[in-house]
Amino acid sequence: MNQLLRFLIVLLPIVVLIFFGKILLVDEDIKFSNFNSKIFPEFQLNDLDGNPVQSGSLNGVKILNVWASWCITCLVEHPFLTRLSEQNIQIIGLNYKDSDLKANAWLKKHGNPYLFSIYDPRGDLAFDLGVTGAPESYLIVNNQVVGHIQGEMNQRKWETIFLPLIQKAKQGS
Amino acid sequence: MIGEISHFLSLSAVLLLSLVLIFNLFFFFSKIHPNQLTLSMRLFNQACWLVFISFGMYVYLAISDDFSIAYIANHSNSQLPIFYKITSIWSAHEGSMFLWIVFLTAWSILFINSLNNNHPLKKFTLLMLSLIILGFLLFLLLTSNPFERILPFGAVEGADINPVLQDPALAIHPPMLYLGYVGFVISFSFITAYLLNGNFELQWEQDIKNWSLVAWIFLTIGIALGSWWAYYELGWGGYWFWDPVENVALMPWLAATAFMHSLFASSKSNVLKTWTMFLGILIFALSLFGAFIVRSGIIDSVHSFANDPERGLYLLSFSGLITLFALTIFAYRLPALNSSKLVVTGSKESFLSMNNILMITSIFSIFLGVTYPLIIESINGDKVSIGPPYYNTIFAPLILIAAIFIMISVDALWQRSMPLRRFFTAIAVPVTLSLISMYLIWWTTSVFSILAYIGIFSGLLILFRYLLRVINNLFNKKFINKGSAIAHTGLGLLFFAVSMNSILSYEKNLNLAPGQSILVDKSVQEFSFNNIRVIKASNHDVISAEVSLLQDGREISLNPQKRKYTTRGQITSESSIHATFLKDTYLTIGDQLENGSWTFSLKINYFIKWIWFSAALMVLGMLLTIFKKKVS
Amino acid sequence: MIIKKLFIFFSFIVLSTSAFNQVVYEFEDSLQEKRFYSLISEIRCPKCTSGSIASSDAPVSRDLKNKVYELVRDGSTDKEIKTYVSKRFGDFSDYRPSLEGSNYLLWFGPFIFLGLMLIIFFIKRRV
Repeated sequence: MNQLLRFLIVLLPIVVLIFFGKILLVDEDIKFSNFNSKIFPEFQLNDLDGNPVQSGSLNGVKILNVWASWCITCLVEHPFLTRLSEQNIQIIGLNYKDSDLKANAWLKKHGNPYLFSIYDPRGDLAFDLGVTGAPESYLIVNNQVVGHIQGEMNQRKWETIFLPLIQKAKQGS
Repeated sequence: MIGEISHFLSLSAVLLLSLVLIFNLFFFFSKIHPNQLTLSMRLFNQACWLVFISFGMYVYLAISDDFSIAYIANHSNSQLPIFYKITSIWSAHEGSMFLWIVFLTAWSILFINSLNNNHPLKKFTLLMLSLIILGFLLFLLLTSNPFERILPFGAVEGADINPVLQDPALAIHPPMLYLGYVGFVISFSFITAYLLNGNFELQWEQDIKNWSLVAWIFLTIGIALGSWWAYYELGWGGYWFWDPVENVALMPWLAATAFMHSLFASSKSNVLKTWTMFLGILIFALSLFGAFIVRSGIIDSVHSFANDPERGLYLLSFSGLITLFALTIFAYRLPALNSSKLVVTGSKESFLSMNNILMITSIFSIFLGVTYPLIIESINGDKVSIGPPYYNTIFAPLILIAAIFIMISVDALWQRSMPLRRFFTAIAVPVTLSLISMYLIWWTTSVFSILAYIGIFSGLLILFRYLLRVINNLFNKKFINKGSAIAHTGLGLLFFAVSMNSILSYEKNLNLAPGQSILVDKSVQEFSFNNIRVIKASNHDVISAEVSLLQDGREISLNPQKRKYTTRGQITSESSIHATFLKDTYLTIGDQLENGSWTFSLKINYFIKWIWFSAALMVLGMLLTIFKKKVS
Repeated sequence: MIIKKLFIFFSFIVLSTSAFNQVVYEFEDSLQEKRFYSLISEIRCPKCTSGSIASSDAPVSRDLKNKVYELVRDGSTDKEIKTYVSKRFGDFSDYRPSLEGSNYLLWFGPFIFLGLMLIIFFIKRRV
């Protein structure tokens, strides 16, 4: 009994040390977190031009990017999104708690990387998606939400979080 | 220039401490030089003074607005009052680490010089202290250097301290907390020295007793200040959220409390020695763990400092190594330490053993709660959140057990069992009174929550038990240990107040335009939003609301504000609190809506003053214990 | 700027009767009210590093509070409300870990630990 106790007194701190050491050495963003994929929530909204969004528009591999004209960080990620769209990555915008006038003006001024933007002034669809603020991005594959990036999108997050999921999806189909 | 000198002094301290260690290591295996200890002490003392002067110069740099130093430029501002220029030093990682080291050094120099030169443990203690201070100084200078310059010209103006930190309570909270945390380096080092030395006939408890008790006081005040600040500054009317950073401050406190009680038994009755030694090591180990958690960014918390894996790794390795070192020696010596004395069931010693077990269980529970999300995430990637629902559920039964043991053990005897008759008379009255009181509380409030009632019952048991004690003392001249009675009464009061607060407090969210008033409930008969003004202050703009309440027949004025700070553009909310004996009326202003009305959050918090008072009682009780005249 | 805005609104208010609800979260009975405030203290703010939606002013917290209010008024149970929130914001939004799977170790761990220590103590009965 005593022997066991003595052994434990030394072993337990070692276990704690190794555990925390391991956590520290893993990259923060990719960590171990899973994302529980779910079906894209139902919605009945228009796009920024006033046309209803079609139900089939979320088929295939799409990025859904939450943005707003009042969102400063969205400007930071905008060039990256533009580059993505030029590489034929399909991006759909979700205009979050914004006025359509200001949103359209913003797109005119800074450029429009989106196929179209869903107009969600009350944030209802955003709420059902679990959006915590702007900017935020989701990866949609055949109407399933399979990936999530909080905060601005950049090369690193794109490569470590979305790309692997996209490749997995392409292999699957 | 001064910055360079200050930096140089710290580096020199590193050098001197290294010399102390190398010097003693060299002589470890050869014949002991007669002046070895004297020389080592001289080097050590000089190193400590270098640290003090270095920090003193750093304070001068902060006061004189030297914005060529990156840290000072990032956290201070020329418009700040001198008091806040100084406190901005410990408002973030590098500076607060510097403060931590200064306190570590201060405790060490005071303690080591209080030991006689022929004290058999002086050398090993000196080496332990030198090693620990050196490790932290290297951490500071290598990974978190407060002396880094902004080249080539420095900043024109400081970025300003976070306005949330421009507050007297928050200014003193870290120093108090650190004084407590690092004070236990003494028990850690001295006990490790004792174990290294190997002569177990030596008495060691007396040498560190008062030092540890004083450190406990600082730790208690530090935690209480943090809680108090959170209550009146953060605007949500809560004082404890079981946030990871609060938890890592609580764990050393629990270990320290257990340690003190165990020390009492250990020095009085020659029992529980190995428990006490283990606890004495555990406290500082938990403090180190706390520093690691807060400064490595590994856990999501509002309080987290730096998100830097390099710092995290250094802290983890260093803390881990010295803790392992101490615990390995402890484990190694364990057979020789075990006494053959049996603990009599029902004796005071047995209750103190139970207390240790309960405290360790509490520490384990908190540790489990803090690390469980990390463990689960690393196994299957799921994210779990652990907070008040978990901790409140786990702690309710634990404090009930603690309260029962406290109630019984007040009358327990050393080394023998309590006579059964004594046992029953001791607990019959408090239990009966507590049950009656609980019924009365339920009858008057009609609120029931099982966890809260467990807490209320626990608090009442302790309070009534000590009330009985006091009565016995006054009328039957029965002996009462005043310090212990006051401190434990404080604990009982804490359990009672916290639980009552949780069942009675309530919140109302209101929406009024200036000039409107509303009837809220039976107690707050009228809530009038009289006026709202914009005021300009030195470094911020204020939106100030004037509200008057008719509460329980009394007229109260409240003045909640929102402030926008010019330098960083940060917006803070200043709640308005009217605190009375029984409850606090706590008003926060929210946002203005499109129709011109403003939202308000009105919270009625019960027994808040009692919570602060209970912390004061615990500290008072401890002070009495430290300063009581030795009778015998 | 703010002064001007306030002035305009103030005069607007003087000229009109109260056109909005003065109690933000109004309930049918105190039990419902207690449930609401208890729920929002157990739902984690999705955007903050730590803390419940009760203690957070973030826009998404406000949206969540309003939704929880609606659901409580509609008669949803606590479990249904928490499931509703978790489906959208992740399991991590419940500060009360469910009683299933590995969480048994979490909830019973401290008491198992206590039991073990007591057993060891009584076996050793030593000091």
